[in-house]
This record gives sequence, structure tokens and C-alpha cells, in this order.
Amino acid sequence: MAAQTEPQVFLFLSEILGKSITGPEGRPLGKIVDLVATLAEPYPIVTEAMILPESGVRQPRMLRVPAVEEARPGFATASWDESDSRQPILRDNELFLKEALLDKQIVDTYGAKVRRVNDLQFLKARRSLHLVHVDVGFRGLMRRTGLEKAMDVFLRGFFDYTLPNQYISWKYVQPIASPDLLRLKIAQDRLSQLHPADLADIIEDLDIRQRSAVFQSLDVETAAETLEETDPKIQVSLIEDMDAAEASDIIEEMSLSEAADLLGDLSREKAEVILKEMEQEIAEDVKELLAHPEEEAGGLMTTAIIQLPPAWTVEEALAKIRAEAEDMDFIYYIYVIDEEERLLGMLSLKELLTAPAGTRLGDIMDQRVVSVSLDEDKDEIAEQFAKYGLLAIPVVNGEERIKGVIPFKNLLEIVAPHLGKK
Amino acid sequence: MAAGVSEKRKWPGVFQRLFSRRWWRSLGLLFALIGPGIITSNVDNDAGGITTYSLAGAQYGLSLLWTLIPITVALIIIQEMCARMGVVSGKGLSDLIRERFGAKITVYLMMVLFLANLGNTISEFAGIAASLEIFGVGKYVSVPVGAFFVWWLVVKGNYKSVEKVFLVACLFYVSYIISGFMGKPDWGRIGIALVTPTVSSDPAFLTMAVGVVGTTIAPWMQFYLQSSVVDKGLKAEDYAYTRVDIIVGSLTVNVVAFFIIMLCAVTLFQQGIKIETAKDAAQALAPLAGNYCTYLFAFGLLNASLFAASILPLSTAYTICEAFGWESSLNRKFTEAPQFYGLYSLMIVLGAAIILLPNMPLIGIMYYSQVINGLLLPFILIFMLILINDSRIMGDYVNGRTMNIITWLTVGILILLSLAIVVTSLLP
Repeated sequence: MAAQTEPQVFLFLSEILGKSITGPEGRPLGKIVDLVATLAEPYPIVTEAMILPESGVRQPRMLRVPAVEEARPGFATASWDESDSRQPILRDNELFLKEALLDKQIVDTYGAKVRRVNDLQFLKARRSLHLVHVDVGFRGLMRRTGLEKAMDVFLRGFFDYTLPNQYISWKYVQPIASPDLLRLKIAQDRLSQLHPADLADIIEDLDIRQRSAVFQSLDVETAAETLEETDPKIQVSLIEDMDAAEASDIIEEMSLSEAADLLGDLSREKAEVILKEMEQEIAEDVKELLAHPEEEAGGLMTTAIIQLPPAWTVEEALAKIRAEAEDMDFIYYIYVIDEEERLLGMLSLKELLTAPAGTRLGDIMDQRVVSVSLDEDKDEIAEQFAKYGLLAIPVVNGEERIKGVIPFKNLLEIVAPHLGKK
Repeated sequence: MAAGVSEKRKWPGVFQRLFSRRWWRSLGLLFALIGPGIITSNVDNDAGGITTYSLAGAQYGLSLLWTLIPITVALIIIQEMCARMGVVSGKGLSDLIRERFGAKITVYLMMVLFLANLGNTISEFAGIAASLEIFGVGKYVSVPVGAFFVWWLVVKGNYKSVEKVFLVACLFYVSYIISGFMGKPDWGRIGIALVTPTVSSDPAFLTMAVGVVGTTIAPWMQFYLQSSVVDKGLKAEDYAYTRVDIIVGSLTVNVVAFFIIMLCAVTLFQQGIKIETAKDAAQALAPLAGNYCTYLFAFGLLNASLFAASILPLSTAYTICEAFGWESSLNRKFTEAPQFYGLYSLMIVLGAAIILLPNMPLIGIMYYSQVINGLLLPFILIFMLILINDSRIMGDYVNGRTMNIITWLTVGILILLSLAIVVTSLLP
């Protein structure tokens, strides 16, 4: 910036760090080693510069930025007195920009990716600096290395190409370098705006510590949805890192079959402690699922389904669905059962919605129900799904009693685990 | 359709589930956690390593055998630090270097590492060509086929299957042990040579000693080991297994080196046969220890070269992508991780193509790649020591006082030796 005569609108962190700063009468104060920003909406404002004196007591101190002007070369401040500086300790909602962001990983919540920060870009407005962009591009990397000009000459000379900058707006940046940063209240919770499947991909990309920190920063519901989408190995490591009470809250929110698979993968002791912490009703359903091998019907099914007697009317059935849908894993099919839970027939939600309100379920149900036994093998089940074009298949025991339902999604994860997981 | 109870499974569900999953898992735990250390160490015995060991044995007999003991110790110390950093921080070495030392140093470091690893990759393809020539396959066939095999293995496989192939490749090093016995060694004399440090003031002898050290402790392996420890998701509580993995790996690598040096010493050195390459060594063994010995030796070389040719480009691509925050994973598709697959493919293509160019000064290329390796190693070792003593990264797992003294000593000696390699390679 020193070489330019016109005032620049944008400034990079790499152009500020390491520059010297002079006080009144040109007395050197030291070098800028970091910047402090206060989180403000929409963009954080740089409030202080951390300065390391080059001689004398080499104690870092912080200097208020509005007092600092650009000079050539470097920066200058006209008014320097002790009251302008404070000890280098952060207050609430403040962060050291270099320490927290530069060269560190962030989550780009727009592109749903983990990126590494090459530079930060500030906007100069009314004597203050606002952090507007995070530079993740190759150009930023070359700028840091001092090879930007060389690269431009090379690319223009040989390919007539200019490498564009690659910025991410601060609005879409979630810093993750330390657990403290995840606790910062940046806008709302940026991570929870991501789709759970994207969040799961991001978590898989991070290292072990960041994984746990990011995961634990999510609210229970998002955490549960994300966990369902995560690789089983990573699921286990995330849960093993939490205490049983927190873990059980999250697992309760998961679908029963996913929860059972996860608990089955955990160490025995951990699984038992978590089951004890869980709501009794859910814990018992999960235990029942746990008794079956994961790749058989019993392990694939969920027990959170709607089962009704044949004497009920359509109206009653719809009211029941409305009341219980929240806790159910699968509501598109309603199963009709007798007093002994034997499967009599089924109805789809579509059939219920189009039938007259007073009709009895027993009169309109489809009695040709395709079902599988508890120990049916996954390939055989897939065969049934393909043959009958169903969304879910009920699972019955030896006495034709319904034990649960396999939604197509659960089967897909077992027979084609590579799909959608990258 | 009706639900029939299948007859084939009679065990109660709970029991079956526990048996089929937990039992195998606990048995598999050790095997699940080992891998990174053993693979990394064995890749060290690559084409360059085998050549160096053969030359050491053929030219200086048993007198360099003792160096393998301190090398084993140094290897364990260095690798232990890498694995510890990986387990504790959950990050790769280039990731830590980038975060701790900034973009500028990292970019230049990665450029040098790329060149060094490219040089090594070229020598692996030279090894593939040389070993298959013994079996009567010309290099214009063997090198492209080898390159394609390596590329296909990694790009079409996934981490788990690739690791299994690599672990099997480690087993094939047994061929060197068998061929070692074919040389009908005099174990008493060899035992004495192993524990008797012999030093000669002959500069060529010293150069060879330094070469043996340099080929065993290379810059790329620190990156590879740490990344694979991280990739495996090893945690602090698994660390005991990882340490076993590393010690076993470091021992096996040196057992193989021992057999190669020993075999060449009791055959070639005693008959006064001069050799220049590993291929010469394999061919010269035929009249002394039989044709099978030659074939085994050549097969070992082929296995080692293919193995290292798969890992070096992979490790380079991982390391560089990690440092610059590019998507890097074998589990991604080409379009999702273009830099990763691009770098990986570029190294294989360049490595193979350079071998096939006529009149390529191969010996010169290998010399300079040795020099670059030697220049790079001190920086990486020093970075490692700074990182492992940084309590912000390592927490309670920083080096203790004794460990620091031992590691600084080891690193100091290695730095002196690698500078010595640089100086001797540059001098005519």
C-alpha cells in the first residue's frame, strides 16, 4: 500500500502484518503482529493492533486502530500515550484475526466445504477497518509467498490467463480453529444453516479435535440429524468423546434404527451407560432392535410406526397420525392389526386422505401385504422392494405379529453404502 | 409374500450379534490399529534403499552392518514423534507446519518436497524397469504397465483396500530373507560384525555409511506416517498400539536391510565382484547362490519399487493438498478433488516418462534427488522438534526433558549426516 498514492479501498491482512508503526516524532513503536476485531454485524470491526516493540522490553501491547494512520512505509500514530494501549487479553466477542483465522481452517457455509484461509481482506470505511472477505484462493497463497507478480507474468505470458481471486464473504465463514471460536455468537448459528448431510461431510473432513468441537457446538436436533448422515466409524468417535447424558439426548432424537446401529457399534460399557440415561421407552425400543443383526430385517427395521385396529374410522386414523407423527420414523403407510398385533392389512397416507371420513379402515385396507421375517437377509429384502415397488416393508415374527417396518432409506444404506457418501 | 422362519440361523439374535461383531472386532483391533508404521518403514526399503544396501554389502562386506542398529534406534525415535503428533493433534505434519510457520515457508517447503519426491519416484520406476529386465521384460512394457497399475490401484481403490494391498506387499519382503539364507552365511562371523562398530577413514566408506542412513530416514516418510496415523483416526488411547506398530516396522525394515547387506557381503564382496546397481547385484548372485536367488532378489526389488511408487506420489499429493487446504481424499471423486488427483497423476506420469526418455542421466537425477532429500531433512526435523515441544499443539504430550535431549542429539547427528550427503554428492 505504501507505493500507491491513491487511497485504497481494500487492504489485506498480509499487507498489514509485519509492518512497522511509528509514534509521534517518528519514534518507532514496533511491528504489527496481529489484529483484534470485535464481532459486529454484518462485518467485524478491527479495533486494535497488537504491537511487538523491536527494542527494549519485548512485551506485546495493543494499540487502538482509529489512532493509527497509514504512512510510508508502514503505519503511524500521532497520539501515543499509555491510555491508548492495553494488555493483550481478549474481551468478550473479540478475536485475534491472525491467530484465529490466518492459515487455519474454516467452514465455508455457502459452499459447504472446509477451506484453508490464505488471507483476510478488509474494507476501509470512515477510518475503520471491516473484515469483509476471507481469501481461500491460490492467488492469495501466492500473495503471501511473494510470488503473485511472478505468477501473473507467467500465466499471462504463456496462457493469456489471469488467475481470479477466490473470496468467501464473512457472512458465510465459521471459524473452527479452536473450540472458543465455535462459542462466539456470530450472527445466528451459521453451522446449523447447513444441511445435515453437508455438515456430516464437513465433520468427516476435519481432524479429530475439530470434529468433536464442531459437533458439540450443534443443537441437539441438528446434531442428531448430522449424526445419522455420518460415517459409522466417525459416529462412534464423536459419541465416545461426549458424556453419556449429552450423548443420550442426541441419540434419542435419532431414528430408532440409526440409534440402534450406533449403539451396537459403541463399546459395551458406553452403550449401557447411554441406554440408562435415555428415556425408558425409547431405550427399550432400541434394545429390541439391538437384538437383531444389523444386516437382517430385525436390524434394519424401525419400531416407531403407526398401527391401528380395523374398526377405526379414517377420521380417527388421521387424527392419530397428526398427533403422533412427530415421534414416528415412518408415517406413509398405516398398518392395520388385530388385538394380538397380527398384521391384517395396510393403507397408504394417500388412500386415507382420499377416503370418506367415516369409512372403517378394515373396509378399505389392502389385505395383500408383503412382509418379511425378522431374520430375512438384506438381499432378499431388496428383492422384495424391487419387485413390489414399496416405500417400506413390515417385519413380522413367526406368529405373524408385526415387529416393525423397514423404510426404503434404511435398506439403501446397507445395500448401497457408497451412494451419497462420496 | 408370507414370512417363513429361515432355518439357516439357529443362534439367538443377541448372542449372534455379539459373537459376529464384538468377537471379531476385538481380535481385529490390533490388526486394525497397526499399519501406518509398518507400511511407512517398509516403503523405506525402496529401489534406492535396496541399491544402497547392495552396494554397501558388495563394496564393504560386513563392515557397515553395525550401522543398522543406531539407524533402527533413530528411526524409532523420529517416527514415534510423528505418530505422537498425529495422534494428539489429529492433524498431518504439513497442516501443523502451515498453521505454525505460515504460508511462505510452507509453499517453498512443499515445492522442494515435490521435487525430492519426484526424484524418488523416478528411481522407483527405474527399479521396476531393472527388476523386470531380469525376468526378460523390456522397460517400454514394464514401466507403462507398472505406472498404470499404480495409478489404477489407488484411484480406483479406497483407503482400506489400498492399505491391505500395501500390507501384503510388506510380506513379500520375506523374499530377501529367503535369498539371504541361500547365500549360506556364516552366522558367527556376521553376529560379531553386527555388534562391532567399524569405522574407516576412507571417504568413500563414510559416504556409503551416510548413504545407508539417508536412504532409511527420508523427509517424505514423516509426512506420510503422520497422515496415515491421522487418516486411520487413531486416538490417544490407541497410542500404545501405534508405538508397537512403529517399533515392529522399524525393526522389520532393518532386518530386511540386514539380509540384503549380508547376502551381498558373503557372496559378491567375498568374490570381489564389483556392481553398480541393484540389478547387477541380482544378476551376479546367480552363479554364487543359484538362479532362484537372483529371481527372489529381483522379485523383491520389483515389489519394493511398485510399493514405493504407489505410496510416494500418494503421500506427496496428500501432503501438499493438506498444506494448502485442497480437498484430499481417496474417497472423493476426481472432480471433487482435482488438485489431489492431478498432483498424484502428474507424479506418476512424470516419474514413468522420464525413465523412458532415451539418454536420460538417471544416475545424475538420483544423485540430485538425494541432495534435495538431504537438504530438506534438517528443516523438517527442526520443525518437528519445535512442533512437538509446543504445548498449544501437544498439550501434556510434549517431549519430556530426557526425550528432548535424546531427540535433539539424534536430530543433530542426522542433520550433520544429511549435510554430509549434500556435500559429498556435490563434490565430484
